[in-house]
Amino acid sequence: MEIQVAQSQDVTVVVPTGDLDMGAADQVRRVLTELIDKGQLKLVMDLGGVGYIDSSGLGTLVAAMKQARAAGGNLKLCALQDDVRSIFEMTRLIKVMSVHATRQEAVASWG
Amino acid sequence: MRDGGPEGTFVLTSEPQHLARLRDWLRGELTRLKVENQEQFGLQVAVGEICSNSIRHAYAGLGGKPIHVSVQGNENRLVIEVRDFGKKFDPEAYRPPDFEAVPEGGIGLHLVRQFVDELSYDVTQEQGTRWTLVKYRRRE
Repeated sequence: MEIQVAQSQDVTVVVPTGDLDMGAADQVRRVLTELIDKGQLKLVMDLGGVGYIDSSGLGTLVAAMKQARAAGGNLKLCALQDDVRSIFEMTRLIKVMSVHATRQEAVASWG
Repeated sequence: MRDGGPEGTFVLTSEPQHLARLRDWLRGELTRLKVENQEQFGLQVAVGEICSNSIRHAYAGLGGKPIHVSVQGNENRLVIEVRDFGKKFDPEAYRPPDFEAVPEGGIGLHLVRQFVDELSYDVTQEQGTRWTLVKYRRRE
């Protein structure tokens, strides 16, 4: 999986491309954990390039969200493709994670 | 990993990196059986979750272990079997996800059940678990 990290003002935007499955979950976990450990706690993950996610991918995002929140930040999501969004709805994570339609909206939500 | 075997059967080994090739193969089989795209996605998730369980639990994360996946279908239903040869599935050890607590794990089988009409398992073989997923086909 290709993962790009960009800075938008004081918000860190993580942009993975590919399938967020069990095979990619560790890589994503390492990237997010490293950012949080460095104190980059305003995180947005742009999932526009992710067409598939499984329970390992979900678990990785939930763990990072909890880690960021515990440190005073958050991991927000944006640009979910329809199939990926359906997985968040089935697992009810859509209600507990901060999900935005676009990257701009997600970044702006940090105020 | 190899994808030999009879038509409608795929054999992968238990490295998570092989799940993408499994999905590619499954997409081809489901297309051949004229399954619509939305349903294909759900079945890819369901089969992927069962194989992930085999990797994580039956084989405890060890690579190089076989997992067999087969697909059969007719105008009424699709039957997908996933077979591993590791530690047998133990329903007593399974804890359904607690959605009130924002689960990080345990949601794989929950997802499988969202996408198939029947899910069963057979642990009567000498080794491993045979999972059977059934999806009834909608009539136009």
